[in-house]
Amino acid sequence: MLILVTALVAAAAVLGAYAWGVRARAREVERRLTRASQELESLQQAFSRFAPSEVVESIIAQGISTRSETKDVTVLFADLKGFTSLAETLEPERLVAILNGWFATMGEVIAAHRGHLAKFVGDGFLVLFGALEPNPWQTNDAVHAALAMRAALAAYNQRLAAQGLPTLAAGIGIHRGPVVAGLLGNAALMEYGVIGRSVNVASRVEGLTRVHDTDILVTDAARAHLDGRFRLVPKGASEVKGIPEPVTTFAVEGFDGPRL
Amino acid sequence: MGRAGSQPTPHPGGSTSHGNGAITASVSFAETAASMEWSDCWLAPTTVPPDLAREVRQKTGGVTPPWATHLASVPWVVRATARFVERRVAYMPVELWDLIGLVVSQDNSCRFCYGATRAILSVLGYQDDQIDRLGRDVHLADLTPPQRVALEFARKVSHANPRPTSADRAALVAAGLSAPAIGEIAYTAVASVFCNKVCTFFALRPIPLERWVQNPFFRLVRPFAAHALRGTHVAPVPIPAPGPCGDVVGALGDAPGAATIRATIDDALASPVLPRRTKLLMLAAIGRALGCERSEREAREVLAGEGLAPTDVDDILANLGSPRLDRRDALLVPFARETVRYRNRVIQDRVRELAQVLSLDEAIEAAGIASLANAVARLSVLLETC
Repeated sequence: MLILVTALVAAAAVLGAYAWGVRARAREVERRLTRASQELESLQQAFSRFAPSEVVESIIAQGISTRSETKDVTVLFADLKGFTSLAETLEPERLVAILNGWFATMGEVIAAHRGHLAKFVGDGFLVLFGALEPNPWQTNDAVHAALAMRAALAAYNQRLAAQGLPTLAAGIGIHRGPVVAGLLGNAALMEYGVIGRSVNVASRVEGLTRVHDTDILVTDAARAHLDGRFRLVPKGASEVKGIPEPVTTFAVEGFDGPRL
Repeated sequence: MGRAGSQPTPHPGGSTSHGNGAITASVSFAETAASMEWSDCWLAPTTVPPDLAREVRQKTGGVTPPWATHLASVPWVVRATARFVERRVAYMPVELWDLIGLVVSQDNSCRFCYGATRAILSVLGYQDDQIDRLGRDVHLADLTPPQRVALEFARKVSHANPRPTSADRAALVAAGLSAPAIGEIAYTAVASVFCNKVCTFFALRPIPLERWVQNPFFRLVRPFAAHALRGTHVAPVPIPAPGPCGDVVGALGDAPGAATIRATIDDALASPVLPRRTKLLMLAAIGRALGCERSEREAREVLAGEGLAPTDVDDILANLGSPRLDRRDALLVPFARETVRYRNRVIQDRVRELAQVLSLDEAIEAAGIASLANAVARLSVLLETC
């Protein structure tokens, strides 16, 4: 009898220990699941700054895909003028500090005007308007952003000059047209990006700012969507590399309307 | 009729009665709330007129919340907020009301509404870890399939990027939800959108309800509070009379939300603080920003009655401005667009600037109109998918 009771107690103890262990493991699994879920949420929030939310949700649900779509977007391309020669005369630390200051200053302005900084290209960058979310006013936003960039660069140059550093000059080209948007890259490196003629046109138009000795140029296609209160100066049609027909551009002088 | 969702499955212990879970949850709540950027509230509280205060208390269970005291100078905004926080549904499972309120408030980063809704769920018996899972991922939360699809649909209505499609509606139908219930799910989402925006625009200081709920004394009375808070179905109401945005209101049929939206739109347009034309232009701009052609068209029709030529409206909406606009409209039309999607601090600064340039009452009414237009334009998804 004693043996039976002892055996039963031992069995109960073993079962209890086992149940305790299972419960502890279940708690641990739940804790890890919660942590993984928190990390996934953080990642999702972070990725939403780089790709449209539906693309992020699609990646989470179905994994990386080559799904792409054609979108009508406004492309802004900005680049520093004469920075290559400046780079040859400045110490690397100062050069990087000046460049990062330019990127930081412009990044704030672009975000404030609903632009999506899509890519850095050397000392320049590509900004998209209307790519991450529908935006009926994308071209106005892009040109307002360009005017704000002009003002922000002037303020940044004052700070540079006060420190005895060389000042910067920028060219900005703006074009509106269709682009193919999707996940681009390979297994090692992938990004949400756009390709197409419209991107090339914006880049070439930025180059034309040197030809026309101005800082902001828009194409005729962009002008067609612009508020009539922007002051524009026609610059005629120019041949540009890689685009078969001449590109008509307009210099942007300012805006004759209220901004809060 | 549409009672597909089962009752909620709150754990009986309440929100804070479980050792380690409470510690984890309070950290999680603090983290979530802290991630919602929030300025200091600059709007001073005022005395709420007795009639209005009584009306508010009837709808809020006897309390006068901060939005009533801070926005009292424009009564329709207070009245609208009180109507939108009241659980009045006839078809949708009642427990969805607060669940939708939580996920939408979290998505909209409204610290005020998130804290309040979270506290209500705690009172109703949801444990902190349940609420955390709900906020993190509806797939991980203890939800029934109809509750899960309802919350996903509500989030899409609130995001509106992209707007829900007929496939989303089909998922709700497949989960057993009726057309009137689907309408009420969308209504609940936009009711939360309205409250989130009003509270966010003025950075209303969150009430520390979480602390009250965790108070040992409150835990004793929690079951009684839960009983008082737990809503029940109300009877359908007569279909509201036609009026501005009648199609969207009509999409709710005889659900109580239809009468709420109708009364709120009528109150808002009748308020004398801002001209009717200004409010309709704001509605049209928000409709366009959200890709809601119907809201824009309805606003245009009423604007034509106000003497604004269609070509002028075209010009204004194409550029969010026009030389034909007066100084006030030139500020408020672009402001309307900014209320669709924003960073909290940016929009809170913007509203503060508006109040400095315009009068305080004009700023409150503009914020209320923008919130209402955002709700109506998002609700119009019912006309596109149903």
